[in-house]
Amino acid sequence: MRFLKPVTSLIILIVLTISLNTKFGSIPPLGKFFDPDAGFWANAELSEPQSAEFLLDGVKGEVSVYFDERRVPHIFAESKNDLYFVQGYITARDRLFQMEMQTYDAAGRLSERLGSRTLSRDLSTRRLGMPYGAEKAIEFIKQDQEIWSALNAYSDGVNAYISSLSPKDYPLEYKILDFEPEEWELIKTAHLLKNMTRTLAGGNSDARTSNTAMFFGDDFIEKFFTIKPELNDPIIPPSRVWDFEPLPVQAPDSIFEPALALELEEFERPEGVGSNNWAVDGSKTASGYPILANDPHLGLTLPSIWYEVQLNAPGINTYGVSLQGSPGVIVGYNEKAAWGTTNSGTDVMDWYEIRFKDASKQEYWHDGEWKPTSMRIEEIIVRGEETVLDTVFYTHHGPVSEFKSEINEEGNPSYYALRWIAHEPSNDLKTFFGFNTMETFEDFREAGSHYVAPTQNFIFANSEGDIGIWITGKLPNKWKYQGRTVSDGSDPLYDWQGWIPFEQNPHIKNPERGFVSSANQESAAEDYPYYLDDDSAPFERGRRINELLEEMEDITADDIRKMQMDNYSYHAATILPEMVDWINRERLSDAELEILAEVEKWDFFNNSDLKAPGIFRWWWSNFYYAILSDEYNSTDASLRWPSRDRLVEVIQAEEDLEFFDNIETEEIETRERVVTDAFKETVEELTNAYGDFGENWNWGVVINNDVDHIAFIPGFGAQNLFSSGNSESINATRGTWGPSWRMVVELGPEVKGWGVYPGGASGNPGSPNYDSMLENWRTGELYELNFYKEPPMDYKYSLKFNTND
Amino acid sequence: MLLALLILILAFLLNLFLPWWSIAIPGLMFGYQFKKNGGASFGWGFLALFLLWGGQALYIHFANAGILSTRIAEMLGVGSPYLVILITGILGGLVSGVATLTGSLFSSLSKAK
Repeated sequence: MRFLKPVTSLIILIVLTISLNTKFGSIPPLGKFFDPDAGFWANAELSEPQSAEFLLDGVKGEVSVYFDERRVPHIFAESKNDLYFVQGYITARDRLFQMEMQTYDAAGRLSERLGSRTLSRDLSTRRLGMPYGAEKAIEFIKQDQEIWSALNAYSDGVNAYISSLSPKDYPLEYKILDFEPEEWELIKTAHLLKNMTRTLAGGNSDARTSNTAMFFGDDFIEKFFTIKPELNDPIIPPSRVWDFEPLPVQAPDSIFEPALALELEEFERPEGVGSNNWAVDGSKTASGYPILANDPHLGLTLPSIWYEVQLNAPGINTYGVSLQGSPGVIVGYNEKAAWGTTNSGTDVMDWYEIRFKDASKQEYWHDGEWKPTSMRIEEIIVRGEETVLDTVFYTHHGPVSEFKSEINEEGNPSYYALRWIAHEPSNDLKTFFGFNTMETFEDFREAGSHYVAPTQNFIFANSEGDIGIWITGKLPNKWKYQGRTVSDGSDPLYDWQGWIPFEQNPHIKNPERGFVSSANQESAAEDYPYYLDDDSAPFERGRRINELLEEMEDITADDIRKMQMDNYSYHAATILPEMVDWINRERLSDAELEILAEVEKWDFFNNSDLKAPGIFRWWWSNFYYAILSDEYNSTDASLRWPSRDRLVEVIQAEEDLEFFDNIETEEIETRERVVTDAFKETVEELTNAYGDFGENWNWGVVINNDVDHIAFIPGFGAQNLFSSGNSESINATRGTWGPSWRMVVELGPEVKGWGVYPGGASGNPGSPNYDSMLENWRTGELYELNFYKEPPMDYKYSLKFNTND
Repeated sequence: MLLALLILILAFLLNLFLPWWSIAIPGLMFGYQFKKNGGASFGWGFLALFLLWGGQALYIHFANAGILSTRIAEMLGVGSPYLVILITGILGGLVSGVATLTGSLFSSLSKAK
């Protein structure tokens, strides 16, 4: 018995140590995590980074990386391979966790690290054919010597960094989630680029449009979706003449109705994915040289989606932002030219109803015969649980998903195949590599001709004075409204019959008006001979940009910077005065009248220190919802909602629109009644959320702008940034979306750039550099970018790499 | 007092190179050697690592201007970075305290032989 005490004590010690070394649910292993030498404390940055030298296998010559005061790396190498090797190394050094997570997400492998909570995300990633698309891309890239060796060099660089780490050096998030970085495989770059396609071209409304047509009829579709708002102002000016003979395309006689009409649900692209870019030529600028501006609107996260970098080697000198996980610069400029990008809404994702011969799904009906499917088994490893196997059948359209009926009695499933541009072989990096070194508009065109997806409005300006814009991407040649609704998978007329020749994609060089611009609105006017899509962004930002540029003269870079922060709301300007006009004041209390007076005197700028923007936003959304929700909610089907700019036109024109009546009540509601109720509801809701009418109703509060950590770890993001802007303003800051990189480039003999993104170079939450640019981003200040032609003499610190051979 | 000091120094050295659980080793060793009673052994062992881990954490907290400890405090929902430091000290202290206790109990075993 005398052993009892010491042995019990020893057992307690062992149990305690093992428990503190084990992850419980989302709680990291506590002993390991709190260890001051190797746990999270080791990630606290205690002093500015110091200069250092490295000998590495893989680099051939000397590479120097100079970090400026914002810790932007300027990489100077003797060869392109060395350049991309070190770009990989440095990017991993600052952003490894993000690099890995983005590609886990894109490959449908999140559950491997995060457990079953991400399983449904992984399953849908696999069903979308994301890994399949990445594999096809890699096979295609292999045939391109330049890109292939750049990718190899880049991944070697990433791996050189990863293998230099011991557990205590792992980025903080690895310690919290308790896993280790894995070797960087080359295909991860393809995964990353596919993820961009999913973000920017991974939404469609085929099923919802089919449902809506079934439920409300074709007239409704015509009225709310086919007719475009009069204020639309397409990217390519309507004066452009299309002097080519379009390729023919054959349309079916009638439009297909899917079997499970009214039951299909799909991904919706959140508004906020959008962007602005514009370029003015020398006739409108003070310097006589073009100025180019770009602000891509994406999810705002810490760390940022972008990583700023300068790349210099023989034959290349470029500056801008890169995506972590991909070599090269994605948005930026070089010594001769600048480029920027916005997303285009072209419809490159369609659903096809599939008829299988039998339950084995080995054959499907197409073009009058049974055709064989192929099969892909997706293996999803789930941390702490059994591996999940999912069999996905592929038709020539693409991967097939199953939908079960909830309405009809047999509950028979229906099958839908996805035709998606992300499955095309692609080598999109070739385009960005082309941009990195281009000089002329011809170079710009050539680079763009290799691009597949996601469709972008690439904009161009160079020091010779040329400007231009090109809707760039591989675009299916569709008959009018093809793929707006669910397609017939057995009828070859619904197949993508061919492609629009790149030279016939909408584009323009040096237009007479002296500027080019885009803000995700429709690409070209009605007379453009091909059908591209019917779901572009509302006109508001695009029209505002064009009207401002039309009037501006002697433009400086600072004028452009201010314009990027323009908060004007075309949306409010077109509908708010009438909403105020329609309201029945007799039904308002004194307090409500005071609040109404606040919006009445508003000048339509979404400024953070005003109360009106928040009141208007809530009022409009309550009004919009009250008009349509009773009808839309009367079915379980998911329906397509009209865009706000078109609805505005309809309610202005039709005082007696039947939708004003609430079908759930006996009485007949009028426009006046609905807008007044919506206002009263707004006052009540804002009071509940923000207290009595006062300073706390200011837009900077109500906008609720958060920049969250990429894995939503509490404390690692920045909450409640008091910000101006809104989705319909040029400064499209809203919620967790907004301008993810603001850039202004002035061309000329010395190209000058300015920029900011909400974050910092370092991805380490324990570094002051992690969010150091956030405040200047919030207030709209830009940093002058250090674009060196020679290795700089003045820098914060440097890293030198030399061959180990 | 000397017991705590020796544990602290050795734990500091081991922890530089070995995984965190190496902090149990000095407690086991010196607890065995010093043969103090259970309460005192646990107390000195606890104190040593509470001071070591807590002290290291406190130093990092100040040298880092509290950037990381504040984020971790928010992540853990504990409100103050000083609580994060306190937790660090307690975790280290607990392991070392139990280890020292265990060492001393084994020493009483050999004494009784």
